Amino acid sequence: MTGEGVYEVFARKKRGEPLRHIGYVDAPGDELARVYAWKTYDEEKWFEMCVVPRGAVIPVNRDDGPWGRNRRGEGDDG
Amino acid sequence: MSQRAEEQLKERIRKGHILESPEEMTPGYRRAIIIQLTVQADTELMSAPAYWLAARHAPSTNTQVSAHAIIQDELAHANIAYRLLEDMGVSKEKLVYGREPHEFKHPYGFDQPLDNWAELVVANGFFDRAGICLLGDVHRNTSYGPLKRALVKVDMEETFHLRHGEVWMRRLARAGGAATELLQRCVDWMFPMTIEWFGLPDDLKRHSGQLDYRLKGLTNDELRQLWMSSTVPLCEGLGLKVPAHYDEAAEEYVLDYPFPCEYDPEAKHWLFGDGEITWDAVFTRWKGRGPMNERYVESVRRSRGTVSSWLN
Repeated sequence: MTGEGVYEVFARKKRGEPLRHIGYVDAPGDELARVYAWKTYDEEKWFEMCVVPRGAVIPVNRDDGPWGRNRRGEGDDG
Repeated sequence: MSQRAEEQLKERIRKGHILESPEEMTPGYRRAIIIQLTVQADTELMSAPAYWLAARHAPSTNTQVSAHAIIQDELAHANIAYRLLEDMGVSKEKLVYGREPHEFKHPYGFDQPLDNWAELVVANGFFDRAGICLLGDVHRNTSYGPLKRALVKVDMEETFHLRHGEVWMRRLARAGGAATELLQRCVDWMFPMTIEWFGLPDDLKRHSGQLDYRLKGLTNDELRQLWMSSTVPLCEGLGLKVPAHYDEAAEEYVLDYPFPCEYDPEAKHWLFGDGEITWDAVFTRWKGRGPMNERYVESVRRSRGTVSSWLN
C-alpha cells in the first residue's frame, strides 16, 4: 500500500530486562504502527513495547546494516 | 569472479558467519533465501483461510476463539516473512495481490478443504507439526540473523497450535464411535499429505543451495523422519492406524504404501492400490493446484479494493 513505512518494534518482557528488537511492521502511520505491533507480536505479555520509524534510527559505526540507508540518503523503506 | 564470491560466502558461512542485512548477500544467496521465505510466507498465509473456513465447525465459543487465535498467529507469521522479503527488495504487495492463485508456493495440502472440526485439529496436529519441523530447523541453523530472530515468536506459537491439535485428537480418540471413525478418516488422507509435503527424497534431490548457504540444516528425508518420529507414536498411542512403522533394523520410519502415489482430492483418498508414480507426476499435480486454491486466495484478498476506495 502506498505511503506505508517500516517501523522497528522493541519490547521488554518485564522490569529490569533489556529492551530488545523483536521485529518490524509496515504501517501507514504511527497510530496504526502501534496497533499492528501490539497485535502482531502478542506472543508474550510484554511489560513495555514501543515502535520507532526505521528512518529515525541513526547508525553509528557502520553503514552497511539495515539502517545504513538512512545515512546514505536512500529514504526509510527501500 | 562472481562464482568465487559465492564460494567465499559459503566458506564463511560454514565457519559460522551470520548475515545481518540484504546488502551482505551474494546473488546466489539472495535467490535461495527469497525462494525459502516465499514458500514460508505463502504457507502461513494460505493456512489462514483453510483454518478460517474450518473454524465455523468449532463446537463452542471457547474453541472457536482458540481456532481464531491460531488464524491470527498464522497471518502474523505470514506478515513477518513477507516483511523480511521487502527488505530484499521483493514487494509484499505484488506477492499477495499481484499473482495468480496457482503461482503461490504453499504446499498442496493447503489447497484442500478442511470440512469439519476433526480435520481442523488434525491439520493442527500434522501440518503445524510439519511447520515446526521445517521452521525449527531453519531457526537452529539459518545463516540469516533477522530470520533467526523472527522465528523465536513463530516457533513458540506453532507449538501452541500443535498442542491444540494433539489435545483435541486425544479427546476425539477417547470418545470412540463416530468421533473416532471420523478422526481415523482424517488421518488416512492427511498423514500421506504431510509426508509428501517434505518433497523430493534425498537421492533425487536436485542441488538447491539451501544447505550450502545454511538456510536450513536438515535434508528433506531427515525432516520427514523427524516428523514421523513424533507423529507415528502419537497416533499409535491414540489407537489410530497410520501407514508407516518404525523399522528396528534400519533404525528409521518406513512407509507402508507406495511413495509417492496419486491422490483423489474429491474423494480425499490416496490411491495406494495404483502403485508408485513419478515425482514428475507429483509436481504436475502440485502445479495444477487443489480444489480450494482459488477460493482461499480470493478470501484473503476480498474487500481490500472496496476499503481502499473508501479511503482514497
